Amino acid sequence: MSTTVDLPVSGATVAPARRTGFWRNLWKVLKRKPSRMVGAVIVVLFVLTGLVGPWLYPDNLPRDSNQILAGPSLSHLLGTDFEGTDVLALLITGTRYVLVAAAFAALITVLIGTGFGLYAGYRRGAPDSVLMRITDFVLTIPGFPLLLVLSTVWKFSSALQMGLVLGLTGWGGLARSVRSATLSLRERGFVEAARGLGMPTRHIVTRELLPNIAPYVAMNLLIGVTTFIYSQVGLFYLGVLPFTSNNWGVMIQLAVTNGVTQTGAGLGYLMAPLVAILLLTLGVVLLVDALDEVFNPRLRED
Amino acid sequence: MLAFLRRLAGHLVRGIVMIWVVTTFTFVLVRLMPGDPVQTQYEKLLAQGVSAEQARAQVQVTYGFVPHGSWLSQYGDYLWKLLHFDLGKSVSAQGVSVRTEVVGALKWTIGLVLAGVLLSFVIGVLLGVVAAMKRNGHVGSVLSLVGSLLHGIPQYVMALVLVTFLTVKLKLFSTGPVDGLLDPGFNGPYIASIISHAVLPAAAFALSSFGGYLLTMKSSVISVLGDDFILASELRGIKPSIIFRYVARNALLPLFTVLALSLGFMIGGAVFIEHAFNYPGMGAMLIDSIGSRDYSEMSGAFLLITGAVILANIAADLLYSVVDPRVRHGGAA
Repeated sequence: MSTTVDLPVSGATVAPARRTGFWRNLWKVLKRKPSRMVGAVIVVLFVLTGLVGPWLYPDNLPRDSNQILAGPSLSHLLGTDFEGTDVLALLITGTRYVLVAAAFAALITVLIGTGFGLYAGYRRGAPDSVLMRITDFVLTIPGFPLLLVLSTVWKFSSALQMGLVLGLTGWGGLARSVRSATLSLRERGFVEAARGLGMPTRHIVTRELLPNIAPYVAMNLLIGVTTFIYSQVGLFYLGVLPFTSNNWGVMIQLAVTNGVTQTGAGLGYLMAPLVAILLLTLGVVLLVDALDEVFNPRLRED
Repeated sequence: MLAFLRRLAGHLVRGIVMIWVVTTFTFVLVRLMPGDPVQTQYEKLLAQGVSAEQARAQVQVTYGFVPHGSWLSQYGDYLWKLLHFDLGKSVSAQGVSVRTEVVGALKWTIGLVLAGVLLSFVIGVLLGVVAAMKRNGHVGSVLSLVGSLLHGIPQYVMALVLVTFLTVKLKLFSTGPVDGLLDPGFNGPYIASIISHAVLPAAAFALSSFGGYLLTMKSSVISVLGDDFILASELRGIKPSIIFRYVARNALLPLFTVLALSLGFMIGGAVFIEHAFNYPGMGAMLIDSIGSRDYSEMSGAFLLITGAVILANIAADLLYSVVDPRVRHGGAA
């Protein structure tokens, strides 16, 4: 269910990443194409909305019973929902749940995926085969149907719980890519040198291997976040989850059950979360293009 | 040949183990359900005045195991039933076997998925070749951007946008699998109705998944273009159209495995499209069974979807070793 970036396993270009160089490089690469700047701005805007959004509005959004499923107007920029609540307010306050769940899922994915991948790739042998069988299993089971089935036992009542389940079902791809990167790195000169010098395994893994794998983990993370956002919004859209707080998926589901797709009234209510998802996708795609160049110097045009 | 058979056997054993793990998972899941649906049905039947013996038999028919006795014997019962492709009986549609329901839903899903996957494959491959050929120009970069964007957009966004604008606003299409008033059967109007209802969902499929094929084909063509044999044939003055045939044939190889895999995933991945277009396939069946807490139907649908993915995985692996000799001789990766 998660899309992963393929690692250039031949990897002759992988150089130990330096922290200071990263941000300067990123800025340089962003400036090169305006489209990348647009992508970065979109992503930053969404993150800010997720951070401060809920503070901009009162806990219970006001309802205007004279204006139900109204179209866009000056007082309601994106129209209103079936109870007369402002759609823009719903969209902005709903961003946090979506982003928090996706970020938490991404964190879990990174911890498990990187941990398993590094350990399996570095140790090889029996632990490797056991871990890879588990990974195969996680990768093979169709993720979304599994989430649907799990929704019958697990209520996903908070964003963190949602993130936990998404993360636990979505780390397979990352573990595979980290493992293959580790397999190719461990045979390379600088790792062998460290081993020859008698460095402890902990040093080799954290100081030699991890910095080289970090870029790919970061890229997979960014793409993973969008996948996690889609999955949870999808779960709410299908209406299999009870909801306690407002978020984009709940908006879509309520718009559909209130007949927006049948009558076309209150189109803004349905379209706002859909357009938000489209915008976020656009932002991430454009930003990934920039990160690609930061991490793969071969792609640089100069 | 012997190596191939050994490979096949290995894959099959792994696939069977995987299916066994998934069946065990659904068994445990049904037992862990809040309120224990099995026990609930048993007690409900007792309250209706059914004798304990009969109630037990009926529960056994529904879930494939009885609520009494050890977990081990319940588990044994369940596996034994599954081994005979007995998925139990539906709870919400009383008396109908889950197998009948699954077969009925599968029919709609397979048609839809085949149409959608083939459409997106053809569009993706053609545009991918164009994107690779024009990779340094504007056409190439626009195609790549559109490809990654559409690849990133979730299916339900595509489906909902199409439903809202084309069926509600413009009234060009209608939802559902077929017009309800027609005589089902092999007759012109019925088939025409099926096709016209399938156009939009298939288009939603294709639009949300051709980007993946486009990107894969593009990178595949570019890597083949860099191969020595292409340079050699260019130097020998072989006509570009013939060289293009070499390129296309070699670049297509990795896409067939993607195709096989996506066919498997789409059986379950059709959830959103079927939901948005009100199409009675496997995905819709899974959602309905979850909504009505029909656990035997739910585990049946989930088992089938997972089985399809596992089979597609095996097929993709084998296909790859058949079409790409380098993998065959290089041994298992």
